[in-house]
Amino acid sequence: MPLQDFATSEPLTLGVELELQLISTHDQDLVPQAEDLLRETARHTGAWDIKPEIARSMIEIGSSIQREHAPLLAELRDMRDQLVHASRRLNIAIAGGGTHAYQHWSEQQIYPGERFHYLSDLYGYLAKQFTVFGQHVHVGCADGDRALWLLHALSRYVPHFIALAASSPFVQGQDTGFDSARLNSVFAFPLSGRAPFVRSWEEFGAYFDKMAGTGVVKSMKDFYWDIRPKPEYGTIELRVCDTPLTVEKAAALACYLQAICRHLLEERPFEPAEDDYLVYTYNRFQACRFGLAGEIVDPQTKARVRLRDDIVRTLAKVDAHAVDLKSWEACQEIRDSLGEGNDATWLRRQHQRNRQQGEAPLSEVVEAAARRWRGAA
Amino acid sequence: MSRLALSDTLPGLMPSTEDLHALEPARAGAVELGREIALWPLEALRGADPVLGLAVLMIIALLAGEAVRRATGLPRALGAMLVGALASPLALSLVTPLELDRWKPLLDLAVGLLVFELGTRIRPRWLRDNPWLAVKSLAEALLAGLAVALALGALGASPSAAALAGAVAMAGSPVIVMAVVGELRPRGQVTERLLVMTAVNTVCAVLALSLWQIAVTLDADGFEWLPVLAGVLYALCGACLLGTCAGLLLERLSRQIRGTGLATLQLALVVIAAMLAAQFTVSPLLSLLVAGMVARARMGHRLQVEPQLGSGGAALTLLLLLTLGLLSTLDGLLGLWPLVAAIIGARLLAKVGTVLLLARPSGLGWRQALGLGLALQPASGLTVLLTSATLGWPAALPAPEAAPMQALLIALTLLQLSGPVWLQLGLRVVARESDARPD
Repeated sequence: MPLQDFATSEPLTLGVELELQLISTHDQDLVPQAEDLLRETARHTGAWDIKPEIARSMIEIGSSIQREHAPLLAELRDMRDQLVHASRRLNIAIAGGGTHAYQHWSEQQIYPGERFHYLSDLYGYLAKQFTVFGQHVHVGCADGDRALWLLHALSRYVPHFIALAASSPFVQGQDTGFDSARLNSVFAFPLSGRAPFVRSWEEFGAYFDKMAGTGVVKSMKDFYWDIRPKPEYGTIELRVCDTPLTVEKAAALACYLQAICRHLLEERPFEPAEDDYLVYTYNRFQACRFGLAGEIVDPQTKARVRLRDDIVRTLAKVDAHAVDLKSWEACQEIRDSLGEGNDATWLRRQHQRNRQQGEAPLSEVVEAAARRWRGAA
Repeated sequence: MSRLALSDTLPGLMPSTEDLHALEPARAGAVELGREIALWPLEALRGADPVLGLAVLMIIALLAGEAVRRATGLPRALGAMLVGALASPLALSLVTPLELDRWKPLLDLAVGLLVFELGTRIRPRWLRDNPWLAVKSLAEALLAGLAVALALGALGASPSAAALAGAVAMAGSPVIVMAVVGELRPRGQVTERLLVMTAVNTVCAVLALSLWQIAVTLDADGFEWLPVLAGVLYALCGACLLGTCAGLLLERLSRQIRGTGLATLQLALVVIAAMLAAQFTVSPLLSLLVAGMVARARMGHRLQVEPQLGSGGAALTLLLLLTLGLLSTLDGLLGLWPLVAAIIGARLLAKVGTVLLLARPSGLGWRQALGLGLALQPASGLTVLLTSATLGWPAALPAPEAAPMQALLIALTLLQLSGPVWLQLGLRVVARESDARPD
């Protein structure tokens, strides 16, 4: 199947997708009840969307197309409230977070569906190990060429989003030492990483045809890149964020991205280059491992800079755009979170507090995360 | 807990020694066959001290459980109960129910632990969050009771006997449900609902039985509402109060205790709560259920309840399952089969029908609802008899009619022995809820 044309969409419009955990209220482990929740929410009110994911203990929700922070946040809150209501009727809880703290990958059940079973057959244990939860943000682009330009220009900001959204310090019952251990799971896939450095949609089409010719890929869905074009929507999709613990954080991250995109498109502060990617995986690792305290290398100046400082500088640069986009509050929330620490820090703090009280079951941490998702903590 | 001895307090419900003698010829064929196959070991077991005999049977039950699991994929609990049934006066007569008295305190503890564990799995808030689930749970219990009572009434049983059978038929079997769920470890909506509904229908049965007892006692002197109501309120509030105290005490004491000590503490408190319940003539079953719920609500994750409280509890559960098998009775099945079929059929229709009818409003798919209806079929006489025993059985009370009671006991035996099959069918096959953990 050849690559489809890049649909035109209104530039800088946003769409947010969140993969969420379904949790037992009894032992706080993941529960395979996606079908039940989908049935309960089938007649929801709202323009948002709810879909199954590969494991039966996950669901994915998607916002409608949004332009500004306030309506996006209102929609996400409505979505959350309706989901919480439905989940209560089923005696389950919903939580954000990039990983479940102690679920065991071998216990996950694949959601019935042709594509999910295909993935499960192809990737084997990787598919089950892929029970991780991310936030994807779509940004509308006028055409394919501009989408690819933006995609590559955004690459140097990818560590920002990894560090800000990081909420997966615990995996299989252990503190991994990473702020975002989720991305390590994504990295295991053969077609993960970054998109090839091509700048026009035509060149990208040629690349896609070559890949399809090898039989390695059938559709754009087979690429697990950090940022990938989504031609049918006319968007590029940032996929590096862990699902935050609150919808407020999710909305803030999306609008921070929107402000950076406007800054890049209108001011064109630099031209993306192939060499930008020399430091890409190193920076990405720093953000995953150390979060906001990570040190990244500026691809142009080659200077080392602390991620937290780089975000402060970027916020200063995009502030005017944020005001124009009516997303100043979102950027303010990002600024506040630099002081408070990311969600990984919050989760570790919960764990630490339990430990000081003489107990350290991670189930307490999961329960606290579910409370936080409901907006109760 | 010695007050829970059921054979002492419910003479009408247990086959008496005379009955067993009367059935001697009918059993002779089976016994003869057994003698021919293995004359000496069986005689040795029959003559042995019942404690020794039961311990040997436990090993056989354990092996049978594994064999059943390997050969048919059905839960091990089935094997244990079948060994019990085989050793009972039904077949080989290795142990008679009367000989079980020495094990009584252990059996009560086993029931207590499983009921407490059921309590810890229940979050009462769910019934508030999903009112249709509350309606479904109540309707399922009440309609099953009503259907059985009406069916027996239509077949000529006295209203009193029909009502008693109805009350008993309401309840599921917390014992079999917890034992099999502990083994299969299914995860999903149907399992969660099964646990809640088993708790609710057991409570309904406890209340209905106390209501029945009071009503029957008063019948002679004319019916009065006030004492009936007071009696039911006492049974309900007393058990709730006792359970709450036990749960709170567990929470308080557990702060000082770490590690495996917590399991010991739970064990001791279960014994104390059951003893006190017997003392105050409130239902130990209800008390322990409430104790489990309160402990879970107060302690959250500090309450680590291993399934069946670890290996010691598993041994108790095996003993309990074996005993359930040993208490089997099919005496008079040939003559009573219309009554037995009426009880099982009416109960099945009422339970499955209600669950299907209220599936959608309560948020369940059709297939799941069918699975839930089937999983609700296991019944157990033991649990309900334990409960009613503590309320005392007035000596002056005329024993219920023999025929419907025997039919009820046969129906309970059948629904009990087939319990693990219903659960596997409902949870695993129909509702497709499984646990992916390696066996």
